[in-house]
Amino acid sequence: MKKYIGYLIIALLLVVPSSVLALNPIADPLISFFPPETMKFYVNDTANVLSTDTEDYIINKSADLSKVDGTEIVVVTVPNLNGYSIEEYANTLFNYWEIGDSDKNNGLLLLLAIEEREFRVEVGDGLGGILPDGKTGRFQDEYIVPYFKNNEWDKGIKNGYDAFYSEIVKMNNLDLEYTNPIEQENLDELYSILIIFAGALGFVLGVIAGVSKKNIRSKIVKIYFIAWILLFIVSTIFFSIGITLLFFNLLVFGFILFLMSLKNSSSRRYSSSSSRRSSSRSSSSRSSSSRSSSFRSSGGGRSSGGGSTRRF
Amino acid sequence: MKKGLITVGVIAAIILLGVMMVGGSYNSLVELEQNVEKEYSNVSVMLERRADLIPNLVSTVKGYMEHEQEIINSITDARDNLLNAKTLEEKGQANNELTSALNALMVVVENYPDLKANENFIQLSDELAGTENRIANVRRDYNDAVEAYNSKVKKFPTNILAGMFGFEEKEYFEVAPEKTEVPEVEF
Repeated sequence: MKKYIGYLIIALLLVVPSSVLALNPIADPLISFFPPETMKFYVNDTANVLSTDTEDYIINKSADLSKVDGTEIVVVTVPNLNGYSIEEYANTLFNYWEIGDSDKNNGLLLLLAIEEREFRVEVGDGLGGILPDGKTGRFQDEYIVPYFKNNEWDKGIKNGYDAFYSEIVKMNNLDLEYTNPIEQENLDELYSILIIFAGALGFVLGVIAGVSKKNIRSKIVKIYFIAWILLFIVSTIFFSIGITLLFFNLLVFGFILFLMSLKNSSSRRYSSSSSRRSSSRSSSSRSSSSRSSSFRSSGGGRSSGGGSTRRF
Repeated sequence: MKKGLITVGVIAAIILLGVMMVGGSYNSLVELEQNVEKEYSNVSVMLERRADLIPNLVSTVKGYMEHEQEIINSITDARDNLLNAKTLEEKGQANNELTSALNALMVVVENYPDLKANENFIQLSDELAGTENRIANVRRDYNDAVEAYNSKVKKFPTNILAGMFGFEEKEYFEVAPEKTEVPEVEF
């Protein structure tokens, strides 16, 4: 028994330095000023200048468009920019909300700041080819700024939205009838499968160790720990994801072994272990869904700062 | 027999722990350095893109401005310097030169309403503004990458490894000390 405590201490020794070395990204203070991401996602009218008709119009069109190839057009109005430049505000917001598909980066953000009287089109990196900065500026001059000069926010937004929408559809030859089959993010799916597999492996090994005779059990436990530590070293150096899986595996293994050593009635043993497994599954699915609402079929897009700004 | 086995196990574990820590820190140093280099090439690409826009701008502007040869010359000179710059410091200096030359141009453009209304000129101004915005973003990303790398190089215990394997501190991409405000151009 003492030996296993020793093994456990070694395992803990390995864990502590790796967790200390982990870097914590510091959040940009600008993010605290962003309007909350609503269920509507495609329209966030915090300045309250858009009519319900326009909002519904944009939400429906954007939702349909995103089903075709993940293109996301998002409209945001804010009363003011809290002292930030509209370029910084738009770029940070764009990348924080990850507008557009993660592979195609085909997001577009239309940001209107009422107090500063500024408007910016922020273009995802993947749309830069069909919407170069010069073109977005011209579109603003032609379709948006004339309305904004007369404070006709609603008309300007709707007209500008239509201009960009039809340009993207035309230039990318999008078939609006076509609906992309909804695909889960591959990594998340793989992760849930792996974590269930790690849990199942720990469960099976725990049961085997639990039902075997005492001297065989100690051998199994010893081999298990050595293999675990070796795998842990390899996964710490090469994959960050492996560590979580291994810990989950160890947790299930230890838990099952502990349950079996309690020598309780078999029916009780079974029910508590199965509830353990089902709870682990639900927690893994919760983490994989992250913060994407049911409205969005994509997400993960990025902009490096393309687009143009107008003051009026 | 049993005690001997435990001792061997503990020693092996300590050695493994050491190897793992050294390997991990070395790998993270390499990773951070790669990241700095990646961001550096992003900065270079954007600076080049800015320089590439200048000839078009100059040829558009030339048709309207006959008496502003000095400003046009300063722009083309700064562009040549930017393209010829080798080190990061030189690039930063040339880029600042180009910024102030372009700012001077934008001030005199006010006297040429025909040029201001020229579609080609508006488009080029947007492209330039967009590129400057991207430069600001990639400069921030580059400096963040340098900061992460430098602090790793300086901090214990990685500083020992960094010294052994020759990881040196990298320089930041600085903005001009007297940061000039870009005059706002209204169309």
